Amino acid sequence: MSRNVKRDILEKVVEAIFLICALVGVVSVAAIIIFVFYQGLHPFFGSDAYSFWDFISGTRWAPSEDVYGVFFMIVASVLATLGAIIIGVPLGVLTAVFIAEIAPKNAVKVIKPAVELLAGIPSVLYGAFGLGVIVPLIREISPEVQGQSLLAVIIVLTIMVLPTIVSLSEAAIKAVPKSYREASLGLGASKMQTIFKVVVPAAKSGILSAAVLGIGRAIGETMAVMMIAGNPTQGLPDSIWSMVRPLTTNIAMEMSYSSGRQQEMLFATGVILFVFIMIVNLTLIRLTHKAGEKDK
Amino acid sequence: MEGTAMPKFTIKDLDLYYGDFKALNKINMEIPQKQIVAFIGPSGCGKSTFLKTLNRMNDLIEGVRIEGKVLLDNTDIYSDIDVIKLRQRVGMVFQQPNPFPMSIYDNVAYGPRIHGIKKKAQLDEIVERSLKQAAIWDEVKDRLKKNALGMSGGQQQRICIARALAVEPEVILMDEPTSALDPISTLKIEDLAVELKQKYTIVIVTHNMQQASRISDKTAFFLTGDVIEYGETSQIFNNPREKKTEEYITGRFG
Amino acid sequence: MSRKTKDRLTQAAVYGSAGLTVVILVLIIGFIVIRGLPGINLSFLTRSWEDETTYILLDTDLTEDAIQAGTIDELGVTLTEDETGLLVENLDSDSPLKSASNIQGDPFEVKTGDYITRATEEDNGQLRLRVERPGGGIVPMLVTTIYMILLSLLVAAPIGIFSAVYLIEYAKPGKIMTLIHFAIENLAGIPSIIYGLFGCLFFVRVCHFQYSLLAGALTLSIMLLPTIITTTEESLKAIPRTYRESSLGLGATKLQTVTKVVLPNALPGILVAVLLAMGRIVGESAALLLTAGTVASIPTALWGNAASGATLTIKMYTLMKEENDLTTACAIGIVLLVIVIVLNFASKMITKKLMSKKGE
Repeated sequence: MSRNVKRDILEKVVEAIFLICALVGVVSVAAIIIFVFYQGLHPFFGSDAYSFWDFISGTRWAPSEDVYGVFFMIVASVLATLGAIIIGVPLGVLTAVFIAEIAPKNAVKVIKPAVELLAGIPSVLYGAFGLGVIVPLIREISPEVQGQSLLAVIIVLTIMVLPTIVSLSEAAIKAVPKSYREASLGLGASKMQTIFKVVVPAAKSGILSAAVLGIGRAIGETMAVMMIAGNPTQGLPDSIWSMVRPLTTNIAMEMSYSSGRQQEMLFATGVILFVFIMIVNLTLIRLTHKAGEKDK
Repeated sequence: MEGTAMPKFTIKDLDLYYGDFKALNKINMEIPQKQIVAFIGPSGCGKSTFLKTLNRMNDLIEGVRIEGKVLLDNTDIYSDIDVIKLRQRVGMVFQQPNPFPMSIYDNVAYGPRIHGIKKKAQLDEIVERSLKQAAIWDEVKDRLKKNALGMSGGQQQRICIARALAVEPEVILMDEPTSALDPISTLKIEDLAVELKQKYTIVIVTHNMQQASRISDKTAFFLTGDVIEYGETSQIFNNPREKKTEEYITGRFG
Repeated sequence: MSRKTKDRLTQAAVYGSAGLTVVILVLIIGFIVIRGLPGINLSFLTRSWEDETTYILLDTDLTEDAIQAGTIDELGVTLTEDETGLLVENLDSDSPLKSASNIQGDPFEVKTGDYITRATEEDNGQLRLRVERPGGGIVPMLVTTIYMILLSLLVAAPIGIFSAVYLIEYAKPGKIMTLIHFAIENLAGIPSIIYGLFGCLFFVRVCHFQYSLLAGALTLSIMLLPTIITTTEESLKAIPRTYRESSLGLGATKLQTVTKVVLPNALPGILVAVLLAMGRIVGESAALLLTAGTVASIPTALWGNAASGATLTIKMYTLMKEENDLTTACAIGIVLLVIVIVLNFASKMITKKLMSKKGE
């Protein structure tokens, strides 16, 4: 009898341990949000408060003069992300179409591992590539003196979101029922018409998720971008040749030697970034759950 | 004069292989114009495979090889007609209703659109005519913009028939078109097939012998890749010449 | 435009895109390898990063003048002179230099490749030699990276695996499960710079760990949770229900079923989860930059002043950003590429084996 009691207690204790582990994720998300928001919103309250409007609309970042404007960084982040998605989605979806629908087996054997490897390459390496190849190339053709530019950021981010978009789109395209293809071909459609008029539209929710995930990647990317963005301390970009300072690099550049208000303002930059990410996350969660329901 | 007209399809010594496996064996057959021809036989006998050779849907399967000739109006479909043109002339309705995940209108307009018709008025006209021909117009005319996947199985299948008709084919191949449907929908599709033979040549694969006897003019009995017997439907069901045919239609095997 | 032309154009676009994707990969790898290869050599892979200077004391009759280029039989050493000093070119196996000790009395082994840059006679008759060991190698970063992997996995692997076990084996659909899944999906979407911010605030400052191995590893642990949990969940889901039922039917408790039937069967999947996590640790930079610091030596503590250490990735970054040394950076890049490819390959092999087993 006592053995049973002991055993029951053990079962309960272990289950409790498992539960506690499972809750670590929840606690972590909560802690991250609370700490980052607390620290980041701190400078806008109290007697010595910094105007939130000045912060969000300002186009100059000069900690030594107590000027903290991040609008030009928001613009930089948004433009860079948009650029990467506008180029990356078509490129990625077409590559996914190639892998899923057209490529002979031997070609798939080359291109799929290539995409997986691209996904696994650390972002610092992309930074090196950007710095060593893209930036010098742009310097050749740019009207500006330097190659660090919005264009460089867009190119490198495009490459970095490509594997995400390719593999998710490929999965979505593969999940389209064969019967759609048969029906279309049976009506006398060519293979290309079938792919682009039936298969890709049928996979659009998966492709959309891929694009949203890509947006999340692009807007949060730091290290590769920092090397090639130029990171000016003021001014809205006026062309793709302009240097830019995305939100992420602002944080990474100054965090290690900052303190006091400057550091709080870096957290405030983080809060802005976080808000963008939350929008992306919630969109993505909604999209994937919707797709899941449809499958049922 | 109907019976003496030139056959729609003429099949000569057709062999079909899946890799090393021979799935069809020396098929010779003539399929007459504007009639319904039914293919019956136990599953795996080659009747669906044969049906798909008539609009080259077998091309999609890897490792399929064909010997012999399939002539459509005396033209070899494996050498002398572009496969896309062929499928435009020889439409297909599948076992499972397979409308695209689009509106009913877009489903039916899909074929005309890919074949280059862009004018709205013309498309409207084709969609209406095709849906009427498929005997589903009255049920869907108020919800043409609704997703086709929201309809019942029987309705979906008739939409698929309308979709096939919209391309204005000469032949409609039906691959067990009612196997996924309830009895009432099945009857509707059968009536529709009989209606359609006024304008179209119809070839239907069915596992349902009553269906074959109800609607077809001619019936072919397939067994392990061979055509055992091919003739007038009444003759096949009432007075089969081959013992195997008789055994099958009286339900002794299959 | 005719349909044929349209088809050809779209087909060209598809082939072009796929080709471009491969070309990009080839360009990136090609660039890293070509730029970095001149920086790769034995000493790069085996040496410490910083030059090290050590004073050693020898019990010997030799005078300071005796330490010069040539072979010194008494010390069992051959020295050659160059601009840095006297290079230890050859060392006998019984050379007293091999078992020397530094001025604190700790043993110090002189190695070939070291330089002797000064020799002085001490009052007690001992000979004092200044030994300089040139750096330029990545050993400290390699060691820090391994420490970081071990420490992060030590925390994240059990938590992640147990979470997955709870979610699949214990939790009933309901609010808690939804909450946990929601949290994990959100964690997966948070960029590493935000993790870095949090780690910098919480682990570095609030917990007073300073820039340290521990602060970095704990930050990474949170980051790795989604990867480990979802991958483990997948492998748990793939285990047939009948396995559990037959175990429970034999009178095993739930815990016994989990430990004896479920987890052993999920092991390959868990292994893949761990390999994926390792890949992320090796590649991570932004979060570590804000939590583990950039010091290029082997950390000697878990937290505090002596615990800061740069992983390979961080060193690659500082080389580019602060030292403008793209060649050495790319040489580290080659090492990173090799690690990533090996991890990729390993997890693929495991998955492949798993698939073929299921196919049986």
